[in-house]
Amino acid sequence: MKKKFSLFNPQYAARSWFVLFNTLFFIAMMVIMIVPIYKIFCDSMINQTVYGLNLIPYGVDPEATELARNAGTIGADESVSVWFNTIAYKRIITDPQLYHPFLVSIYTTLLTTFLGLLLSTLGAYVLIQRDMPGVKVFGYALLFTMIFNAGLIPTFLVMKTIGLLDSIWAVIVPTSMNVYNLVLMRSFFEGIPASLFEAAEIDGCTPMGIFIKIVLPLSKAALASIGLFFAVAAWSEYFHYVIYIKSSDKYNFQYKLRDLFQDKQDTSEGTRINTNTLKSAAVIVSIIPFMFIYPFCQKYFMTGVTMGAVKE
Amino acid sequence: MANNDNMNFDHIVVQKPSIKQRMYKYRWFYIMFLPVAVVLFIFYYWPMLGIRYAWSTYKLKQITMRTGPDYSIGWGNFKRLLTADPFQAAFKNTIILSLVNLILATVFTVVVALLINEIGNAWGKKIVQTVLYLPHFLSWVVAASIFMLILSAGTDATGADTSNMGFVNAILYNIGIIDKPIDFLTDSKYWRPVWYIMNRWKETGWGTIIYLAALSSISPDLYEAAEIDGANRFKQTIYITLPSLMNTILIVFILNLAKIMNIFESVFVLYNSLVYDVSDVIQTYVYRVGIVGNDYGYSTAIGLFKSVISLILVTASDIISKKVRGEGIV
Amino acid sequence: MKKNVFKRFAAVGLSMIMVTSLAACNDQATDDNFSIDPYFDAADVDNKPEVISIMADTIMTEENGLQDVCDEYYNNTGIRLEIEKPDHAKYYEKVTLAFASEDPADIIEMGSTYYPELANSGALWDMTYAWEMSTSNCKQIIDEDYVDALRINGKLYGFPMAAGNGTITYVRQDWLDEAGLDMPTNYDEFVEMLRAFKARGNGAIPITAAGLLNTETPYDIYLREFYQDAVPDFYVDEETGQYVDGFAEPEMVEAITRLRDAFQEGLLDSEVVTNKTSTCRDKLGSGLVGAFNYWAGMWSLKLQRSMNEGQLVAMPPIEETGGYTERVPTAMAMSIYAPEKPAIFEHFLMYSHDGGEGQMLFTHGVKDKHYVVNEDGSATALPYYTDPDTTVEKSFYAPELTITEWDDPIALDPMVEESLEVYRENRVFATVPIVTDVISQNLADLNVIKNQVVANAVTGKMSVEEAMQYYEEKGTYYANAILEELNSDAYREQVANDEAEAAEEIENAKNGVNPSAAGEGTDTAE
Repeated sequence: MKKKFSLFNPQYAARSWFVLFNTLFFIAMMVIMIVPIYKIFCDSMINQTVYGLNLIPYGVDPEATELARNAGTIGADESVSVWFNTIAYKRIITDPQLYHPFLVSIYTTLLTTFLGLLLSTLGAYVLIQRDMPGVKVFGYALLFTMIFNAGLIPTFLVMKTIGLLDSIWAVIVPTSMNVYNLVLMRSFFEGIPASLFEAAEIDGCTPMGIFIKIVLPLSKAALASIGLFFAVAAWSEYFHYVIYIKSSDKYNFQYKLRDLFQDKQDTSEGTRINTNTLKSAAVIVSIIPFMFIYPFCQKYFMTGVTMGAVKE
Repeated sequence: MANNDNMNFDHIVVQKPSIKQRMYKYRWFYIMFLPVAVVLFIFYYWPMLGIRYAWSTYKLKQITMRTGPDYSIGWGNFKRLLTADPFQAAFKNTIILSLVNLILATVFTVVVALLINEIGNAWGKKIVQTVLYLPHFLSWVVAASIFMLILSAGTDATGADTSNMGFVNAILYNIGIIDKPIDFLTDSKYWRPVWYIMNRWKETGWGTIIYLAALSSISPDLYEAAEIDGANRFKQTIYITLPSLMNTILIVFILNLAKIMNIFESVFVLYNSLVYDVSDVIQTYVYRVGIVGNDYGYSTAIGLFKSVISLILVTASDIISKKVRGEGIV
Repeated sequence: MKKNVFKRFAAVGLSMIMVTSLAACNDQATDDNFSIDPYFDAADVDNKPEVISIMADTIMTEENGLQDVCDEYYNNTGIRLEIEKPDHAKYYEKVTLAFASEDPADIIEMGSTYYPELANSGALWDMTYAWEMSTSNCKQIIDEDYVDALRINGKLYGFPMAAGNGTITYVRQDWLDEAGLDMPTNYDEFVEMLRAFKARGNGAIPITAAGLLNTETPYDIYLREFYQDAVPDFYVDEETGQYVDGFAEPEMVEAITRLRDAFQEGLLDSEVVTNKTSTCRDKLGSGLVGAFNYWAGMWSLKLQRSMNEGQLVAMPPIEETGGYTERVPTAMAMSIYAPEKPAIFEHFLMYSHDGGEGQMLFTHGVKDKHYVVNEDGSATALPYYTDPDTTVEKSFYAPELTITEWDDPIALDPMVEESLEVYRENRVFATVPIVTDVISQNLADLNVIKNQVVANAVTGKMSVEEAMQYYEEKGTYYANAILEELNSDAYREQVANDEAEAAEEIENAKNGVNPSAAGEGTDTAE
């Protein structure tokens, strides 16, 4: 059924006005979603304090201005403006206090994703063994942690007792053990036809063999999608670092970013980089890795969430 | 959430081998479950033993003096929390922030989902979805950082220098709504609205997915029939789409209702001591009392109080959910 | 369905039992260094540790050569310094977390709120004996008042970094001159001055402050002229010898009335309740403010520099206040987990106030890096590594607030010296706030109520009577709990006990006795 777009033809007017409104509405929505990020991007490329309404990555470069003034190429009241001033990014790349947390973020994300997938696939695979004695207890023991937890202090004191304070594992392991993701994985596994398991069993495959040769290869989409959930969670991790980590060389980028925003002292002191420029650049750097993979992985995120939605 | 019906096979009656035989058969699975069990035990169940600290005085003194928790106070910590103003304020804030946010979330998300569904152009729809989902993947730290930057009042609070105001203040100032910058994040009047907006900005798009999935499962026959009856699009939405969506809306609402005591990180990264009166929630209070104030006994008591209320809420939601759709939520 | 829920919880209960049975947990970590014994042998002083770890907040940044200071210290003493300088906003979170993990640094910088709190928790080493035993030069040149300001019931748990300093009321001299007024000497003249400032119009703010009550003791420091003899805190009533709640006394009503009158008349900044200190400084900087109570010393210079026009002078204390308050100094405390405590005390704390090489290093930094010595023996500060336009102010301890009598080769700015002189003329030393378990449990809640009361009364949301009524309803519960403890025999006994122990330590030190060595000789806790 082809619909005509005409604002004045009475037959189509109502619908057309709606389509027009709807289109404008979503353009506005997209602007609202994007502009804050875009604004931060622009501010990260203007190294000066004047940035209020500016929406282009173009602004006065104090360094170039000073150079030009000293060289006499411009007058004392003129200034040099540049596009894409990357001085703040250069600082992030060269200052170990800033790039080291970024590296920490990368390896904790990789470790968490790996460990998270390992735990959720193993757990999910066991949970689909319907005849296994005790499997229900396992299931309920897992579910119970979703609705009741001991709380911050008891967990902290356990971490202390087992000597995990100031260890990166205090952050990685709890993030890897995500019951929601495990249950999601179980739903995926349940979709695998039982006949495949039976056939493999008859062929003499061990449970581990079935897991590696059949279950995992058939669940690539699930692995991708749940792996991404773990990766996003690990990359965003902040609070665990606040309470468990003490040494400054173990902080991740989120923590460092938050530090930049909380520090009342001027972090850019004497470095000729405006504080806000540096903060903006740090925000952009922390979302860059995700921006790269997001367009390619959107499909997997969707799979995961619709799977969860259907289960709900 | 899981569908527990998958775990109930009581109706299947078969001659089963003995437990021993079955356990032997599944021996490798027990080994495979071991890593999960160990992690679960250490990080979730072992801490549950610590709940007993809620009935004790347990502070730094008990650690440095090596005496261990002092259990002589009985229910003292609970009595204290029921009389303490800051706890009541935190409790009230938790409820207000969560509920308002939940209502806003439901309204906004459903409306946006309905409108996305009306986008005719497949490409347009895809682009809109991609962009709207994007903020969901930013961490709370990043989202709060972005809001701090664009809401900044600039370095000069007197308004004498307007050049370095944040984006929002600059807009308001230039169109003449304000004559000096507003420090949104340190002013009790503005903090909650800012928090609601940040939550909607980050989660509205992502929240639509579940409704879009539900919308796509509504039978097209219904609409065709309605069109033949002469119902316009608006009427179709009111009489067909919304009723079909009602179940999903209700379920999502109930699920989130069960979680209202849990708000934490979104507040933790945005609040500060100047706005504790409107922003302090139970979890942040637990953090400040326990981790900053070293009062482990009292903090554990608050945490336990919160967990028990959560548990009641979840159980209640579960019962409601079973009534509504014959299926629990846990 | 119903059966299901029960089953589920039965299963969970089962796993809980599993947990409990398996939990043969060992809560107590063992630590060889852990010791609360203040006594030691004289020889222990030379038992240098290889490394001393320090957690500090208000010291030079890493970018400006903190490592150079450590290296220089190593060259001089053979001890490595490991310095942890957490983000300022999270400093005390990190301190308490470190103690909770039983893994704090050896030396920790502590402000007057946390110092008594941690001392009360038994987390800090009692250095009364060590200080009395010390043979260092520091002992000869120190101004004992500053050390005594850190004593809690006679015992010393930390050593001052520098004078506590305090705040002083700065006044715009040019505004005074234009109004043809002299510097006020009493409250009436002070109010007259504020009225004259208000009459200038153009949004002039006669006096500004960040909040009506300070967030830590002394609570009345920023608006001293209005509080006068009111004490919004607990103190001992001289007649009865009992503790009383100063906030509930009639003087407080008068003080609130004064503040309220000033506020209603427009003499007090209308945004006083929500102001942050930075807001106040901004307002002062943009020439809007006539009077502002802020830190004496270095800040006099910084405030003056922030102003485009006008001249700030320090106002001598008015009659009614008697004198400005010297805050409790920031302390360098030693954790009970530190190794070789006597040696750290001597080779770090005493060394850094030795009036010579050590004091120079911890005040001004490293020679030829942070300062240069001139031919005539005086010295000049060099610019910061990161900021060529500013010279190094300090490495650890602020030079203008030194607690020893020594010849600092770097002379102070006259303006700084002048403001300190005015301030010190008649100052009163604040005492370390009392901390007990009951206080630490109730004080924060009580302070919130106090703030509400003052804010509501002053801004006119309530009448003064209503506000005090509100205080009685809400605050008395906490105040009484605190008073009950402070006036209890048990508390008195504990104070007397502590004081006796402190006296004993001092006595033993004078006689050069180490009672611990006489007994079993080990220094482990109970």
